[in-house]
Amino acid sequence: MSEKELVAKAQAGDFQAFEALINANKGKIYALALKMTANPQDAEDIVQETLIKAIDNIEQFRGESSFGTWLYSIALNQSRAHLAKQKQTDLKPIEDYLPTRSADEMHNHGGHKLFDWRDPHKVLEDDELRKMIDEAIAALPVQYREAFLLRYYEELSIKEIAKIINESVASTKSRVLRARLAVRDQLSRTLEARYGT
Amino acid sequence: MGRKCLDYIKELNDYIDGDLDPALCEEIEKHIGHCENCRIMVDTMKQSVKLCREGRPVELPKSLESKLNNLLKDRWQIKFGK
Ligand SMILES: [Zn+2]
Repeated sequence: MSEKELVAKAQAGDFQAFEALINANKGKIYALALKMTANPQDAEDIVQETLIKAIDNIEQFRGESSFGTWLYSIALNQSRAHLAKQKQTDLKPIEDYLPTRSADEMHNHGGHKLFDWRDPHKVLEDDELRKMIDEAIAALPVQYREAFLLRYYEELSIKEIAKIINESVASTKSRVLRARLAVRDQLSRTLEARYGT
Repeated sequence: MGRKCLDYIKELNDYIDGDLDPALCEEIEKHIGHCENCRIMVDTMKQSVKLCREGRPVELPKSLESKLNNLLKDRWQIKFGK
């Protein structure tokens, strides 16, 4: 049965159709909530609240996006409510993620080189690295954290994310890039502090 | 040699995700070939996202799963009366 048919059935009161719709997505929503809040209890609450809201508002789903995308936007609103006390700060400008501000200086004088952890398996187990990445993600300002997670955790397109977070495609793109640079940068710093020479 | 590292960094996301036009892709690859910092940037950006993806849980905790079953059924009944 297509998603469209399932939605029509669910909107007419078929619980099994609703279950089929959420089964494909609830694990992903839990994962998103867990990464957003870094708190298992909050994540469970967010999944519950999201699915309850989905039931309460099922007739409002018009199929302009996929059902999953619709659920994500509810889940994100719930996550934001749980994170309400966290400030919306801004990340560094993109140029600050380069080791030297002037590219000429870098090319001509060697400059400071980035720490290379191309083969992390040499130094650390994947599990430990993942923990560090989680910490780096959790340290991102909320609006960057959600952009990063939707792109790389949930693998949504920039267009879909823009719709969910209600931003332009250009600013969504820039958020995702800066979040990605910040996560990478943070991880490099942690590893360099430990293993750098 | 008009472009600088910063110009490339702005394109790295699309480059890594394979969303960049071939000509620019080629230019970036050329640049990475002789710019150590940009090479490291690309490599470690790839790694961090790959590791993040691999660690993704796909299932709900069992306790939550059973709690949800009842909760959602009840809510559905309230809404649709069946
Ligand atoms: Zn460069």
